[in-house]
Amino acid sequence: MDLLTLIVFLPTIGAILCMFVPKQQARVVATAATLATFVFSLLLFPTFFTDGSDEQVEEAFGSAYGTLHHVVRADWITGENFAIEYFLGVDGLSFPLVILTTLVSFLACLASWNIAQWKINKSPNAFFVLFLLLETGMIGTFVSLDFFLFYVFWEVMLLPMYFLIGVWGGARREYAAIKFFLFTLGGSVLMLIALVAMFLYSGHVVGEGGISSAYRPDVMLTHGTFDLIELATNETIQDYFNKNVGGPLFMGFKFAPVMFIFLFIGFAIKLPAVPVHTWLPDAHVEAPTPISMILAGVLLKMGGYGFLRLCYPIFPSAGEFYAFALATIGVVSIIYGALCAMAQTDFKKLVAYSSISHMGYVLLGIAVMNKTGFQGAMFQMIAHGISSPMCFFLVGVIYDRAHHREINRFGGLWLTMPKYGTMATIGFFASLGLPGLCGFIGEVWVLLGTFQAGTKFGWAYMYAVIAAFGVILTAGYILWLIRRVYLGREREEYREYSDTSARETFILVPMAILAIALGILPAQTVFNYTNGTLNLIVKHLGG
Amino acid sequence: MQLLAATNLWEGVSVVEDLMCFSPMLALICTMLAVVITPIIAGRQPKVLAGVAILGTVVSLAFAWRVAGMVGDSGVSGLSPIERSGMLIADNLSIWFQFLVLFFVLCITALWWVGSADTERDAPEFFILLLGSALGMMLMVSTSNLLMMVIAIETASLPSYAMVGFDKRNRRSAEASLKYMIFGAISAALMFYGVSLLYGTVGSLSFGNVAQFTVDSLLDKHVSLALIAGLVCMLAGISFKISAVPFHFWCPDAFEGARIEVTTWLSVVSKAAALMLLMRLVLSLCAASGGTGFLQVLSPVAWTLGIVAAITCTVGNFAAFMQTSVKRMLAYSSIAHAGYMLMATTVFLYPFEEGAGIGVSALLLYVVVYLFMNLGAFGVVAMVYWQTGRDDFDAFAGLMRKSPWLAVPMVICLVSLVGLPPFAGFIAKWWLLVALGELDSVYPNSSLGGLGWFLVTVAVINTLISLYYYMRVVKVMALEDDDGPSYSSNAAGLAIVNGCAVILIVLLVLASPLKSMADRYAKNLFIPVAVTDDTAARVALDDSSIVEGTELP
Repeated sequence: MDLLTLIVFLPTIGAILCMFVPKQQARVVATAATLATFVFSLLLFPTFFTDGSDEQVEEAFGSAYGTLHHVVRADWITGENFAIEYFLGVDGLSFPLVILTTLVSFLACLASWNIAQWKINKSPNAFFVLFLLLETGMIGTFVSLDFFLFYVFWEVMLLPMYFLIGVWGGARREYAAIKFFLFTLGGSVLMLIALVAMFLYSGHVVGEGGISSAYRPDVMLTHGTFDLIELATNETIQDYFNKNVGGPLFMGFKFAPVMFIFLFIGFAIKLPAVPVHTWLPDAHVEAPTPISMILAGVLLKMGGYGFLRLCYPIFPSAGEFYAFALATIGVVSIIYGALCAMAQTDFKKLVAYSSISHMGYVLLGIAVMNKTGFQGAMFQMIAHGISSPMCFFLVGVIYDRAHHREINRFGGLWLTMPKYGTMATIGFFASLGLPGLCGFIGEVWVLLGTFQAGTKFGWAYMYAVIAAFGVILTAGYILWLIRRVYLGREREEYREYSDTSARETFILVPMAILAIALGILPAQTVFNYTNGTLNLIVKHLGG
Repeated sequence: MQLLAATNLWEGVSVVEDLMCFSPMLALICTMLAVVITPIIAGRQPKVLAGVAILGTVVSLAFAWRVAGMVGDSGVSGLSPIERSGMLIADNLSIWFQFLVLFFVLCITALWWVGSADTERDAPEFFILLLGSALGMMLMVSTSNLLMMVIAIETASLPSYAMVGFDKRNRRSAEASLKYMIFGAISAALMFYGVSLLYGTVGSLSFGNVAQFTVDSLLDKHVSLALIAGLVCMLAGISFKISAVPFHFWCPDAFEGARIEVTTWLSVVSKAAALMLLMRLVLSLCAASGGTGFLQVLSPVAWTLGIVAAITCTVGNFAAFMQTSVKRMLAYSSIAHAGYMLMATTVFLYPFEEGAGIGVSALLLYVVVYLFMNLGAFGVVAMVYWQTGRDDFDAFAGLMRKSPWLAVPMVICLVSLVGLPPFAGFIAKWWLLVALGELDSVYPNSSLGGLGWFLVTVAVINTLISLYYYMRVVKVMALEDDDGPSYSSNAAGLAIVNGCAVILIVLLVLASPLKSMADRYAKNLFIPVAVTDDTAARVALDDSSIVEGTELP
């Protein structure tokens, strides 16, 4: 069986098993399934392992955008003038996110082991079934390269997430769940229009005899295509989509900018960018801890991944056109998210707003369209995928004991729970962007990229300065948080609390190690695996 | 060559072959008689009568299969000997619908068996009415003659009125039936008036002649008031059956008051029949306006239909928001879906161009998927109703705990009705959107321009609106609980709803066969074209060739 198919559907198999095992065993089956998925996903590593030499890099990432590995291609829904394929593949863009997904899922699954002690005591089997289906959806989204298949996986995530928040969530769970659903679907219906339109418009240029495929020798395109790589790299299609004068019109507007915006809104909601971020604090606050970890660790990354896989490679002309607007949204997200985080008294809400701020860097880095910016954005996604689940889990650990999340009611927890305090310091400092920890590299790269873009976009210098100011705000709210929760006098009411259990430590330690490793060895842990493809995308964009 | 083949086919039509085309309907008529006679022999035992009805329907299905074989690749088979004017036709559209409606008769009988068989006092009457309306609907899709159309619509409607009021002791049922009948009578009167105006103006009852006359007068810019009034009144009658806005008012009341099997029955096939009839009318308009004036003539018609469709699905979706009864909510949802399906009729493509059948194909596929979504959803509502005697939202509280085997299929059917993957409702909506997009791609920058993408936008926005009220049911089922006891549901009933859920998943995962079948069926249709002497002519339509209407000696 193909490796990617296995990775995508292993959780589904686990979900089916989960339906039939006794209540107490569901968590074991689910953990085994997520662990197996994680182990199999690690097998993707060797393909992308290079010693940094040009030949090896080229072998792993190719010489042009569209070099894929572990490709699975089969017809799914086909007819005379359409072919929807089951088309999976990984490159430097998707493979780190796949590993991140399987890792965070595994850790989140471990974080659900105490499900029997949760306030909402409903069938754990159902919880783990939905959890595993969600994982299939997430991995599938990252590895599918057929737009239709991508869309299906994208939507597959919605329903399990709705139930996971809505059934096992906090007090306002119903509101949060439907809000999440409506916002995300609002974005994806726009994506659906883009899906129909891109398929039909790509069919316009095919003509009588068809055109030859850009990257598959001996393949002729005789109709519109859903192939994301083909849409991005086929010169005929690209010329047609991005033609500046006399190009195709969509309802009277130029095709590329309209499609770009449709896709962008869909992904920006997921990212989330201000002003479509309001579902996130609600969803995060109400979701149970493991689901918050998944939300922050993986789901938000779909937005950034979508920009890099769909928006920019397929509509580069529109990317340039919108650069200012997108960078503005990014910068606003950074500052607004940080200011909101500063105002929170709810521990979890603070972490949620900090996510908005951090994902603002991703958007800014992508908007400036250069190598450094892209690399920084990608690194920021991975780093945030490690630090934010850690922060959410840290909140969950204390919530399990105290049953409240009021920052001002805590204090001196480091003294009460030394192991927990240490881990919390690492986690929150990583989120802060302290040099030597993972959050730092991404932010610096994005800022550097923005400065570099100053030669092309006049506004970029100013934005770099404003975004850098965001780092200070981040430091402000995180340090203030640490002072209020972990430092200070030990409080009477928390004195009895046990330190982190073995299970909790086991979840925190890998994330802490990764947070440090990414900060010290950014190249060896991330850049070596991502930059190859990112540079090719930038080259493809003409940068 | 194609022309010759068509002519030969005509010459070869024998009386036997003609009757064969009519055989599924004849089988149904015989079944109705059998249902009348059986009580005399075997007493009024509900399950025996159901057995007779099932047997008759299966025989009818077998005949339909035989006709499908006769229709074959050309897609068109013999016409009825009556006047030889397209009174009765057998083509791919009618075959598709016959399979659908007969299969659905079986589904409804199964649902009836689960819930009503034990308490039923009037089983013979129920089955006669059910089969009678099925017969009428089959005739609706198998004709290209206005007179036959009127008779067919009435054959379908009259039993429906009685079925809605079937629970004689239930006041709401009687009220619903009365409302339905009054609305129906008014719209039927309008339709008769319209048809008589058309006959007076055109001098013919065949779809083809009416279409040709309409197109000619539009091209001459000399449109008589009688023609317009006739067309509008006729469309009003069809819109009533589709429950398109503003002829939808009967729908929620009738659906709420009727027995749930009847509601399920009406929500799917009566709309599908009317939509397919409308499709045939639209296609004959397309065929009549072939040539230079194509867009000039058809744009206003397409825009009218498109706007009605857009309003219908928007009104249906917004009205569904406020409902407190799940059954009534699903009634509004069926209005919304009628709107989506109505969109397919606007995909006017000059029929001889490539991709001609794309709108028809989208409609055929949508109807099939819609059947399973609605059967599953109404099936669950029925099971809950039989258990609790209620169909309001609160009756569904905690269903996920009380009976997961009801709640999970309900979630699947509802999400499928929203049109989200991984369920077949998405595939149905997807091909509809592609068909609409194709409309603008084929005729860019024309007077038709923008209609397709406008409707795509309306459809996806409506998807978003509909999510909220469908998810309300899911919310009540999964997120709320009234600590009531668990259900012990009937196994056969569970099999029906879970079967629907499985089919909805399978139709997405294995979407190819259904799509290619719909494509194949959509290509070779009987498209009525104008004829002289009131003789019939046919166009066998396929990708490559144009076949003019042939005159008979």
